[in-house]
Amino acid sequence: MRTLRAIFAHTSGRIGGFIVGLYLLLAVLGLLGLTPHDPLMQYRIDRLHAPSGTYWMGTDLFGRDVASRLMMGIGQSFIVAFFSVAFAALAGTVLGLAAAWFGRRWDGIVMRIMDVLLAFPAILLALLIVAVAGPGTSTSIVAIAIVYTPIFTRVVRGPALSLKAREFVDAARTFGSSSSYILTRHLLLNLVAPLTVQVTLALAWALLTEAGLSFLGLGKQPPAASLGLMLSDSRNLMETAPWLMIFPGIAIMISILGFNLLGDALRDIFDPKMRRAIA
Amino acid sequence: MTYLLRRLAVFPLVLIGVSIVVFVAIRMVPGDSITAMLGTEAGLLTPQQRDALAAYFGIDQPWFVQYGRWLLGLVQGNLGISPTYGKPVLDVILERFPLTLELALLSMMIALVVGMPAGVFAATRNERLSDLGVRIAAMIGQSTPNFVLALLIIYTLSAGFGVLPAMGEFSPLWQDPLRNLGQLILPAITLGFAFAASVTRISRSAMLDVLSDDYVRTARSKGASARSVIWRHALPNALIPVVTLSGIEFGYLLGGAVIVEQIYALPGIGRLVLDAILQRDYALVQGCVLFIAFNFMIVNLLVDLAYVALDPRIRLGER
Amino acid sequence: MVQHLTRKLLSGMTLAAMLGIAAVPLQASAATLHMAWSQDATGLDPHKQTAFSSLRLLELIYEPLVRVDANLQIVPAIAESWQFSADGKELSFKLNPKAKFQNGAAVTSADVKASFERILDEKTGAAARANFLSIASIDTPDPATVVFHLSQPDVPILTAMSDVNAAIVPASEITAGSVGTKAVGSGPFKLDKWDPNAKEVLSANRDWAGGATGVDGIEISVLPDETAILAALRTKQIDFALLNDPLVATLVPKEASLQLNRVPVLAYHVLQLNPSRKPMTELKVRQAISCAIDRQEVLDTASLGEGKVTGPLTIPSLATDPSQLFCYKRDVEKAKKLMAEAGFADGFSATVIGATGEPPTAAAEAQVIQSQLAEIGVKLDIKMMELNVYVDAWLKGDFDMAVALNGGRADPYTMYNRYWTKSGNLQKVANYIDDTLDSQMQQGRAETDPAKRKAIFAEFEKHLAEVSPWIWLYTSYSYTAQQKNVAGFVPTPTGTLFSLSKVTIQQ
Repeated sequence: MRTLRAIFAHTSGRIGGFIVGLYLLLAVLGLLGLTPHDPLMQYRIDRLHAPSGTYWMGTDLFGRDVASRLMMGIGQSFIVAFFSVAFAALAGTVLGLAAAWFGRRWDGIVMRIMDVLLAFPAILLALLIVAVAGPGTSTSIVAIAIVYTPIFTRVVRGPALSLKAREFVDAARTFGSSSSYILTRHLLLNLVAPLTVQVTLALAWALLTEAGLSFLGLGKQPPAASLGLMLSDSRNLMETAPWLMIFPGIAIMISILGFNLLGDALRDIFDPKMRRAIA
Repeated sequence: MTYLLRRLAVFPLVLIGVSIVVFVAIRMVPGDSITAMLGTEAGLLTPQQRDALAAYFGIDQPWFVQYGRWLLGLVQGNLGISPTYGKPVLDVILERFPLTLELALLSMMIALVVGMPAGVFAATRNERLSDLGVRIAAMIGQSTPNFVLALLIIYTLSAGFGVLPAMGEFSPLWQDPLRNLGQLILPAITLGFAFAASVTRISRSAMLDVLSDDYVRTARSKGASARSVIWRHALPNALIPVVTLSGIEFGYLLGGAVIVEQIYALPGIGRLVLDAILQRDYALVQGCVLFIAFNFMIVNLLVDLAYVALDPRIRLGER
Repeated sequence: MVQHLTRKLLSGMTLAAMLGIAAVPLQASAATLHMAWSQDATGLDPHKQTAFSSLRLLELIYEPLVRVDANLQIVPAIAESWQFSADGKELSFKLNPKAKFQNGAAVTSADVKASFERILDEKTGAAARANFLSIASIDTPDPATVVFHLSQPDVPILTAMSDVNAAIVPASEITAGSVGTKAVGSGPFKLDKWDPNAKEVLSANRDWAGGATGVDGIEISVLPDETAILAALRTKQIDFALLNDPLVATLVPKEASLQLNRVPVLAYHVLQLNPSRKPMTELKVRQAISCAIDRQEVLDTASLGEGKVTGPLTIPSLATDPSQLFCYKRDVEKAKKLMAEAGFADGFSATVIGATGEPPTAAAEAQVIQSQLAEIGVKLDIKMMELNVYVDAWLKGDFDMAVALNGGRADPYTMYNRYWTKSGNLQKVANYIDDTLDSQMQQGRAETDPAKRKAIFAEFEKHLAEVSPWIWLYTSYSYTAQQKNVAGFVPTPTGTLFSLSKVTIQQ
C-alpha cells in the first residue's frame, strides 16, 4: 500500500503505472473477448481496409479487425511476458538463494550452470529451445524464462551473500531460529526491493524478446495474435497497408515504455542508491 | 593475478558445458543435414542412398561417438569442416567475424558519443524540462524493437529518398573503407539506437548518484566550479556503471545481431549461426556457438577488470 | 577526316592499353548483371541438389542432354537430336560436336554414360535416381552417340533428362571425386566464386556451344529480406531479382523504372489430407472438405489473387477446365450432408501443419482454410514449423493435414508417380492409392501418342479430384523483377533462369 502511494507520488511512476494499468485492462478485455469485433472473424469483403469508423485501426490481409486483434495480442504477449518472468524470477530466486546459502560447492555448481546459459546469445538460446520443443505459447514462455533465469540468480545471489554475512542473521541464529525461518523472513524481505525492480524491467525485455521470436516465426501460432506476430506479418505489407505495422509497433513501444517507467520509479522509491547495484 | 587465473580456469568448463548443450539440442531438432539439402525430395532416397549421405555428413554414428570425435578434433585445434561452405569451420567464422566486430564497435561508439553527453547533460539539469526531454527520448529509444527501426529506415530511405547504402556484396574495411562505412552506418545506427538510450539513462542516473556523494559535495563546498566538479570529480566515478553496461551490451553484440543482419543482408556471425541451424550444418553451429560464448566470456572478464581499474575501492573476487 | 578518325582511334587504343584493357569493341555486352535472391543455393553437385535456388544456379553452369523451353517443349542442349525406338525401349542421342566442358575437354558419350551411372549408383545419394530406374544399360557406339536401353517403355524419361539433376559432368571429375567441390559444367556461365549465403560470381563461358552470352557475368547477392530486395531494385543497385512473396512482387509494377515478369508455374498449392488418419479415411469426409473449401477465396486472400485455381494437372497442354472437377464450386450444404452421411454431423478436430515462409503464403492459406472448414464443424489447429522440422514430419506422413507447395514437372508421370502409383516412393506421404490411379499412371507412362496421353491423364485428374486424398488449390506465379533496361529475359513455367544467358543490359 505504501509502495502504491509512493508510485503515485512519483512522476514517471504515475505515468508508467497508468500505462501498465491501461494495458492490463486491454489485455483482460482482449482475453475475455470483449473487443469491438471478433478478433478471429475474417470479414473477407473488407480485406486490407484502411482505418475507418467501423474498423478503428483498419483490417488485415484476412479482413480481421486490427484493433480487436491488438487487444487480443496485448493479452497474449502479456501472458508470455508475465509467465516467463514469473518462472525466471522463481527459478532465479531459488537457485540464487541455494547458491548463497549452501556454501561454496553449491555456489560453484549453480553459478557455472548460469555461466553456461549466460554465455549463449539470448536469441540463439531461445531459438534452440523453440526449435527443439516446437513453437507455441508454452515454448515461448519456457524459452524466455530460461534466458532470464541467470539474471535473476545473480540479482538474488549478490544481496543474499552479503546479507548472510551480516550480523542480524547471525543474531537470529543465536536466538535459535530455524534456518528456513531465517531464509524466508530476513533474506526474502531484503530481496523484495531488487527483485521487484528487476521483474518490472524484465517484463519490458520479455515483451521485446517475444516480438523478436515471433518475427523469426518462432512464437505464437496463427490465427491467434501477439504483438510480435502482428508486426512480423505486417512487414511485407508495410507499403500496402502501413496501419498493420504502425499500430502494433506503437502498442509495443508504449507497453515497454510503461514497464520501464514503472521500473525506474520503483528503483527510486526502494533505494536511490540501488541504481548502481542493479545496473 | 590469482583471481585472473581462477576466472580463466573456469573457461574450459563453461565451454564444455555450452558445447554439450548445443550438441545435444541441435540433434534433438527434427530434420537433419539430408532433409536440409534435399527437402521433400529426400523421400525419394533408398535406404542405401540415405546411409551414403549420412556417412558423407558424418551423422551416421550415435551422438556421443560424434561428440567424442568432435572433442578430439577440438583438442587438436580443429573445429571440423562445414559441409555447406566446404571449408574448415574456423575459417568460415573468421571470415565473418570482422564484420560483426566492426558493427559492434561502431554501435558502441554511436551509443557512447550520443548517450554519455546526453546523460550528463540531463543529470545536470535534473528535473527540468530539458532533462525530461532527454529522458523521454531515451525511454522511447529503449522501447523500439530494432527490426521495426530497421524496416522503417530502409523503407523511408529507398521509397522516400531513393537512396540506400550498397546492399549485397559486402566490402571489408581494408578493401574499401568508404563503401564499408556506408554499408555499416545504418545497421550501426539501428543497433546503436537502443544502446545509446541505455547509456543515456545509466550515465544520467550514475551522474546523479555521484553528484549527491559526499566527496563531490566537499569539492563543491571548497569552491570548485560546477564544470570542474562534473568533469573532474564526478564523471570518472560515474563511468563505472557506463563501462559495465557498455561492456555487457558489446559482449551481446559480438554474438551477432541476427535480425538486423538479416534485414540489411550483412554476412555477420548472427546470420551465419541462423543459416547453419536452418541448414543443419552441425559442425558450424557448434563452432559458432563456442566462438560466441568464448568472446562473451572474454569481454565480461575485461569488463570486470576495467571495473576494478576504475574503482580502486573494489577488491577482486567479490562479484 | 580520315586522319581525324585514325587519331581518335589511336588515342582510344592508347587509353585502353594504359588502363590495361584489351581493345575489345565497345558493345552493350560489356556489362555485369547484378542480381539478388532471398535464398541461396545449398550446394554445387548437380545430381544431389534439389533446392529451388540450387537448381536455378546450377542451370547456368551445367547442361543436361535436353532442355524444356518456355512452352514446355523439349529442345536441344548437349544433345542436338534424339529418337525413341518404335517399341519405346531404346532412346538414342546425338551429341552436339561443339559442346565443351569449362575445363576445355569436349563432351563425349563417355561423359554421358559416366554421369548417368553416377546418378544410378546408390552411393551417390542422388534423389533423381528414382526417375531413371528403367535404364537397363547405356551404350556408346561412338564419342557423339549415346543409346539408353530401357527395361520398359518410358516416355517421361526424356522430360526427366531435361532436369539439371540429370546434368552431364566430366567423367574425369567423377573419377577424381570432385563433383560438388568444383563446378565444371558445359553451360553458359562459369562459377568464379561462391560464398554461401552471401554471394555468387559468375563469368561468361566464351566456349559455350550455345553461342555468346549477352552479359560478361552475373553477380548474385543473397538478400534474405524481400522488402530489402525491393529497396535495392528501387535504388538501382541490382538489375534483376527473384521474388517469392506475392505481397512484395505486386509492389514492383508501381515503380516506373521496374518491370515485373510473372509466369504461371507448374508447382501447386495444395491442402494434403492424410487418408490413413481418422476420419480422413472416409471418402465422404474428404469430399466434404473438398466441397467446403473455396479455392478462389484462398487464392484471393493468401496470394492477393495472384494465380489460378487448379486441378491436379498443372501442365497447360494437359490441364482440363478445373470448374468441371468434383466440387470445384464451393457447396457448404453438400459438404454438411456428406459429413452427416459419414457420421460426422458434429464435425471433428484436426491439426494442419505448414512450413514457416515456405511458401510465404503458407500461414495465410492455413488460416483461410481454417475459417472455411469451421463452417462445417471441422476445427483446425494450425502448427507452423521451421522448414526442416516440417519436412521431417511430412516425410514420415506424421500429420493430419498439411499445407504445401509441391513442385511440378513438365510430365505428369514424373510429377506424380512418386505419390499416385503403388510403388511410388512417397506413398507413405500420400497414403492413398487405388487400382484406377495406378493403372492410369502406367498407361500414361507407356503411351507415346500425345492425344491418347492427354485423354488418359484427363481421366486420372478427374478421378483424383473425386477421391480427394488432397485438395488441390491453385498455381501461383514465379516472379522476377528487373530494371527496364534489361532485355531478353524469358520466364518459363519451370522457373528456370536459363534465358539469363541471352539477356543484355541496354545503356
